Amino acid sequence: MQNTSLQFKKQVTIKLADVKLQDALSRLQSRFVEGRSAVISEIHDLQETRTAAAAIRDRVLNDLEHWLLHFEQQATTRGAIVHWAETGDDVNRIVAEIATQHGVKTAAKSKSMVSEECGLNDALELAGVAVMETDLGEYILQLAKEAPSHIVAPVVHKNKEEISDLFAEKHQLPRKTGIAELCREAREVLRPAFLNADMGISGANFLVAETGSVLIVTNEGNGRLVTTLPRVHVAITGIEKVVPTLEDVTTLLRLLPRSATGQSITNYVSVLTGNKNKEDHDGPQHFHIILLDNGRSSLIGGEMQEMLRCIRCGACMNHCPVYQNIGGHAYGWVYPGPMGSILTPLLGGLEKSPDLPNASTFCGACAVVCPVKIPLPDLLRKLREKQMQRGMKSRQETLMLKAWAWLALHPNMYALATKIGVRLMHTMGGKEKLLHTLPGASGWTDGRDFPAPSGQTFRELYQRRTHK
Amino acid sequence: MNAREKILAKIRNAQKNKTTGAHTETIASHLALHPRGPLPPLPDNLLARFKERALKLSSDVQETSDRMEVPALLANYLRERKLPCSGVCWPSLSGLPWSAAGLDMQSRPAKNHDLVGVTGAFCAIAETGTLMMLSGPDTPATTSLLPETHVALLDPRRIVATMEDAWDLLRKEHQQPPRAVNFISGPSRTADIEQTVTLGAHGPYRVLLILAPR
Amino acid sequence: MRVGLFVTCLVDSMRPRIGFATIKLLEAAGCEVVVPEQQTCCGQPGYNSGDRKSAVALALKFLAEFETLDYVVLPSGSCAGMIRLHYPDLFKDDPILLARITALGQRTYELTDFLVNVGQLKQVPGKFQGSLTYHDSCSGLRELNVYKQPRALLAKMPGVTIKEMLESTTCCGFGGTFSVKYGELSTRMADNKCQHIVATHAGAIVGGDLGCLLNIEGRLRRIGDHATRVLHVAEVLSGIDTDEVQ
Repeated sequence: MQNTSLQFKKQVTIKLADVKLQDALSRLQSRFVEGRSAVISEIHDLQETRTAAAAIRDRVLNDLEHWLLHFEQQATTRGAIVHWAETGDDVNRIVAEIATQHGVKTAAKSKSMVSEECGLNDALELAGVAVMETDLGEYILQLAKEAPSHIVAPVVHKNKEEISDLFAEKHQLPRKTGIAELCREAREVLRPAFLNADMGISGANFLVAETGSVLIVTNEGNGRLVTTLPRVHVAITGIEKVVPTLEDVTTLLRLLPRSATGQSITNYVSVLTGNKNKEDHDGPQHFHIILLDNGRSSLIGGEMQEMLRCIRCGACMNHCPVYQNIGGHAYGWVYPGPMGSILTPLLGGLEKSPDLPNASTFCGACAVVCPVKIPLPDLLRKLREKQMQRGMKSRQETLMLKAWAWLALHPNMYALATKIGVRLMHTMGGKEKLLHTLPGASGWTDGRDFPAPSGQTFRELYQRRTHK
Repeated sequence: MNAREKILAKIRNAQKNKTTGAHTETIASHLALHPRGPLPPLPDNLLARFKERALKLSSDVQETSDRMEVPALLANYLRERKLPCSGVCWPSLSGLPWSAAGLDMQSRPAKNHDLVGVTGAFCAIAETGTLMMLSGPDTPATTSLLPETHVALLDPRRIVATMEDAWDLLRKEHQQPPRAVNFISGPSRTADIEQTVTLGAHGPYRVLLILAPR
Repeated sequence: MRVGLFVTCLVDSMRPRIGFATIKLLEAAGCEVVVPEQQTCCGQPGYNSGDRKSAVALALKFLAEFETLDYVVLPSGSCAGMIRLHYPDLFKDDPILLARITALGQRTYELTDFLVNVGQLKQVPGKFQGSLTYHDSCSGLRELNVYKQPRALLAKMPGVTIKEMLESTTCCGFGGTFSVKYGELSTRMADNKCQHIVATHAGAIVGGDLGCLLNIEGRLRRIGDHATRVLHVAEVLSGIDTDEVQ
């Protein structure tokens, strides 16, 4: 997927003015924030469980090569074929080759954010494979030719009426208005796609090293269908998704759906190991697993490694006041919200996403809810430090910071500067005691007044009081 | 170097200077011990907990002490809901008196148009009200997936406390996981449209759990 | 006990009476208050903008000025969080400085946290009459667990009625330089906050961080609300809530 996060500021303006989007985003609070809060309390000792989950992820990341090799060996023993891809284009090439090898004409796909990184659908269409998205949200987006705006609820930005119109137009069926009717219509339209697909494409929530299994959590059942019915199954995921044992993955599963959708467990948890046995009636004859790097390995061993703990629950964006106000598209790539503001610059280049690390108040809501305790604000701050080191900050900002730091380190000059400053601002505030404009700070005063100071600094007043 | 070697070399080089301490032996010992993480406290009565959680997941739950009663119970369930009285079942269940209860139950994997699928279950998990299904020649995965109504017979003695217990049971009774282990927690659902939960997405619209001792 | 007051740069310039209010409250809790006169800024603006070097220099300055004191108290959760949680990060490669800065950090408190958990203030001097709603500023709340403390202190004031707003723990959109760099977004967040404040019909919005309060006040006034008072919790608790009383 093309990274357009350079447009972030422009997009913010557009999204803030988008009435339909704002209405759609207002649903995040009840469904995701309150939903999570209602079930996360079921976990007896949440902090202990989060700590354990983070340790499981760190165990793998600290020794990733060996865990990957163990996973590969186990998966291969069971009949899966493991592929390695350095880039998204490599994934697309490998999937196209698998399609050719098995004479695949049609593919049914369940939700995979990694495949969005690669732009897999377009590449497969070019290779002559018709791809059908089958997750309801992703299917809607495929019809509308839009990108997901949330990693768990991809179509959170659209309302029911838009979907009714879209279905009526694309399905050429009488317009449905009820949500249940719309879901049934999608089921009926998509069922043949599952039955006729030569290839099923899925992501993987986890890879279990112990057993060589791919683990997928789903609610709709499409994940089960695409990994059961077609004769070829291709699972695509990032190299960081390995988890040591079935017990380890179980600890993570206590947190993932609760954090993501406010469910104690998703409807389906599928643990897929190897291809179909001769005696089996169902299951794919060929099982391919593609492990994508796409920049992830560059985070290993460095100060940003903690980001690779991420299990893609989306809680950070659900709880982020920035995401809550602008939605996912403004971020310009596959991953929005706090985790996206870190991953996008790391995987796609800091110079292509200069705003993302800065568009945060460091309110910390994301870090509190992260099930694997990723210190998201700290990682964003480290990206800002990189921008500073690489001279990527504007001259004005660098100058301001330098000037402030210099003053703060020279208390007498600081005293003088603040003394003058507050007098000036006090005068500018007038009778109303409000500043309607501030030079260099129109960002503030375009939407807010600035309460004027009383005209003397604490330091002055305190000195007068103690020395009188 | 191929992609595999390049990726692995990058990781290796990045971690060269870090003494992670975790090497082949610690990996082997972690795999051998497969320690459990923090577990939720659960009541002694796992059956009651299982039923409570299953209902919360929108599964229907019925009980009988006589396995031979299952067909009549199911017939009643289907008629009450005006659902078709025909479907497919796992081969291991073909011996139950289906036709005596007025049900046309064929013993074969499910096809697209089958509306009722009757399965057993490997075990069930009290913590979440979840069924654990193992795929195999006699336990096809499609039976619990394609039909609009999924009926699962469960021996109450096969209810374990947690998923960790279920893994141990799997390790004890089978050497390795089958092609597919499916944990099922109620009817399929979606909340993609306006975050409104709707039952019956691509899988079953309803799940009936019949607790009957084997 | 000797308590150092770090008044914070924002209070120093923008609303000095909060500094005097803090002194009054600390004295009411029986503390001897020391105000190092060369103090300036904790370094957070630079630190959060990626300028680690200036933050290190200012952290060392802070250490030199406050290390001999029993405690350090700030009328700001944000700056207290900087000192307690982030200063150690600046010295992670220097074990000796790290130990010193961590020890001082452990003795550094946000005002209401200190008054409740260390100073154990019994009698609240303020005489505030009326209803108020409390905004929980992010750093104090999430870094220092300041939530119950201000409410417990306000509950000691017979004239005060607390009317809780919706989402009192959601960020107001201030975020330091964020408020200028991403003004539109920041304004929207402030506006959401103001809607919740106005809906309580409380006479005052009270909080523990001046940055958030300036942001909230700025938005309230811009949307034409000149009636709702915007006060620091120290002002309410001390009774020093206008410059005349100071």
